[in-house]
Amino acid sequence: MNIFRLSVLASALISAAAAAETPTLGNPAISAVLDGYYQSGDRALGGREEGFGLGESELAISANIDDLFYGKLTTVIEAHDGETELELEEAFIQTLALPGGLSVRAGRFLSDVGYLNNQHLHSDAFAGRPAVYRAFLGSHYFDDGLRLSWVAPTDLYWTFGVEGFKGDKMRAEDEHSEREFDTVGVYNAFTKLGGDIGDNSSWQLGLAYMKNQNGRLTPHEEGEEVHAEDEHAHDHSHSAAYTGENTYVADFVYKWAPNGNYKYQHLTLSGEFFRVNDFKAPELHEEEHEEEEGHEHAHGKDYHQGWYLSGVYQFSPSWSAGLRYGELDTQLAHDDHFDAQKLKETEVSLNWHHSHFSTVRLQYTRQQGTNFDGISDDNLFTLQYVMTLGAHGAHQF
Amino acid sequence: MRINSKLLGGLLALTLGHSASAVAGLNIFACEPEYAALAKELAPDASIYSATTAMQDPHQVQARPSLIAKMRQADLALCAGADLEIGWLPMLQMKSANANVRDGSDGMLYAAELIETLDKLDKVDRSMGDVHAKGNPHLHFSPRRFLQVAEAVTARLKRLDGDDSAAYDAAFARFSERWQAAIPGWEASAQELAGRKVIAYHTSFRYLFDWLGIEQVADLEPKPGLPPSSGHLASLLERARKGDVSAIVVASYQDTRGANWLAEKAGLPVLVLPMSVGGNEESQDLFSLYDSVINLLKGAN
Repeated sequence: MNIFRLSVLASALISAAAAAETPTLGNPAISAVLDGYYQSGDRALGGREEGFGLGESELAISANIDDLFYGKLTTVIEAHDGETELELEEAFIQTLALPGGLSVRAGRFLSDVGYLNNQHLHSDAFAGRPAVYRAFLGSHYFDDGLRLSWVAPTDLYWTFGVEGFKGDKMRAEDEHSEREFDTVGVYNAFTKLGGDIGDNSSWQLGLAYMKNQNGRLTPHEEGEEVHAEDEHAHDHSHSAAYTGENTYVADFVYKWAPNGNYKYQHLTLSGEFFRVNDFKAPELHEEEHEEEEGHEHAHGKDYHQGWYLSGVYQFSPSWSAGLRYGELDTQLAHDDHFDAQKLKETEVSLNWHHSHFSTVRLQYTRQQGTNFDGISDDNLFTLQYVMTLGAHGAHQF
Repeated sequence: MRINSKLLGGLLALTLGHSASAVAGLNIFACEPEYAALAKELAPDASIYSATTAMQDPHQVQARPSLIAKMRQADLALCAGADLEIGWLPMLQMKSANANVRDGSDGMLYAAELIETLDKLDKVDRSMGDVHAKGNPHLHFSPRRFLQVAEAVTARLKRLDGDDSAAYDAAFARFSERWQAAIPGWEASAQELAGRKVIAYHTSFRYLFDWLGIEQVADLEPKPGLPPSSGHLASLLERARKGDVSAIVVASYQDTRGANWLAEKAGLPVLVLPMSVGGNEESQDLFSLYDSVINLLKGAN
């Protein structure tokens, strides 16, 4: 039983901590994420496609630049429709030593809108972002801009921040490329509160208001169809499929672990609500009239809306299971009026984690669409792996 | 209107939980309870917060809101280092926007950087499990190393809070004297443990075993960071049947199921040792923590 000659092996058995050193100037944190999958059908609104495919394969490098600045660069490689796209997801600097709990982040980074958006896809418990994210944020909203945030000096966690972005991805349709868009298109103000309840539980609440200067639809011209669906269903440009001038977001997270020990069991409950107002072009007045055949008629509302609730339970170090339900209510511009659309998604995922660094996931998704092209009542199965190598990732709350 | 403003202030303090004690001394953020306990010995007037308890695996902590809020207010953060907190501390440093606790600042102290750790590795690969090059971070069970850490913490306290230099020197002198007086007592008490062989969960007690001459002949984890598997437990049973193992040792935040299975099959006792202060009834401070682990180990015949 040489294998257990631990006195020899002990020197190789080090405490649970990572292979990567703490990043320093001479030794930046370098990490890669590998994501591959097989899926039995297409997901609505720019989710994963049918068949074998790669998700976001990520290569990231980060380090303190000096004692005042930190920097990070994340490239994402995506393959779809036989093409490989290289995208820069993050390229930002952040201050490390501003006084009074202030910090500034500049460059390209993930907006702090909502709960999930500032987290990377590979840390999710499901194979894709909820429908609200795919509809209103292009799945994952990162952009070029500036953020100023402040953390209050209180035992209750309270942070407040404002962001300004280029906002190209959040622009409304412009079929004729004649529209004058604002160059700083998106402003976001957010606040988050959080704390602990005893040793076992932690919570966080978030609110955000996003102003999108280019969010209203372009004034409609006779005979043209603005069909968000066709434009975006298989468009991985990370653009928002539905935009509006004012977006309101509320989110919450609650986590529980016995004695606060996350190693063996823990539960995460989270939910987010989005409402997007003021999407109609100034000249576009809703006219009620009868639908052509084939469409369920509904009065177009004055807003888009969506929400989801998610619960993930890790019942042993190696296994976790998640359940997520979400709804999306959107208005699709159609000639001179709007058709109401609805999408309901139910997702169940089972995840096997051999270690801290690897996940194999089996997910069942039921998507029920009303007035969504090509989606009626579909059952999808996804088999996916997500694995990280290199620097130890962060346990983000 | 004085009453009103007082009331309002009180309400505000209640709502936001602002630590009024920050005036009394430094604000110290400890990553683990052993460093909170050390801070208590060395800076009695400080306001001290421990990010984890002895019931929590300090590697598996999340960068949760309450920790960001505490880190935001810290003058000094005391952590084990050697990548034990790699999954959450960097994010706390980033999100708390507190320049005092940046790496390289006077307010950020890693114990593992002050002493010689055990089991440093030249070459690491994740196929070896969740291992790293900087050595074992659970150094608070090495009394002499911990005294070195205490000395360095004191120097740091004086640099951050120069006005109270004399008080910090006095506190260190008191602690050092008591600690050095206690070491021979612990060693005498633990003499019978030298040469004992145990099976343990992880290398949590590497320094304790090193100090007391106990040999860990097998690990409940097949590889660091991987939970005990049935196949692995079966091989441990084989090992235990040699008859030279005296106990199975588990830390207060570790799952006892694998240990209990093995203990039942092999007829061995399971010893749940407090990993840190607060890990059991007896462990109220660093001294009683040491007393407790030695007494528990001696309790297994």
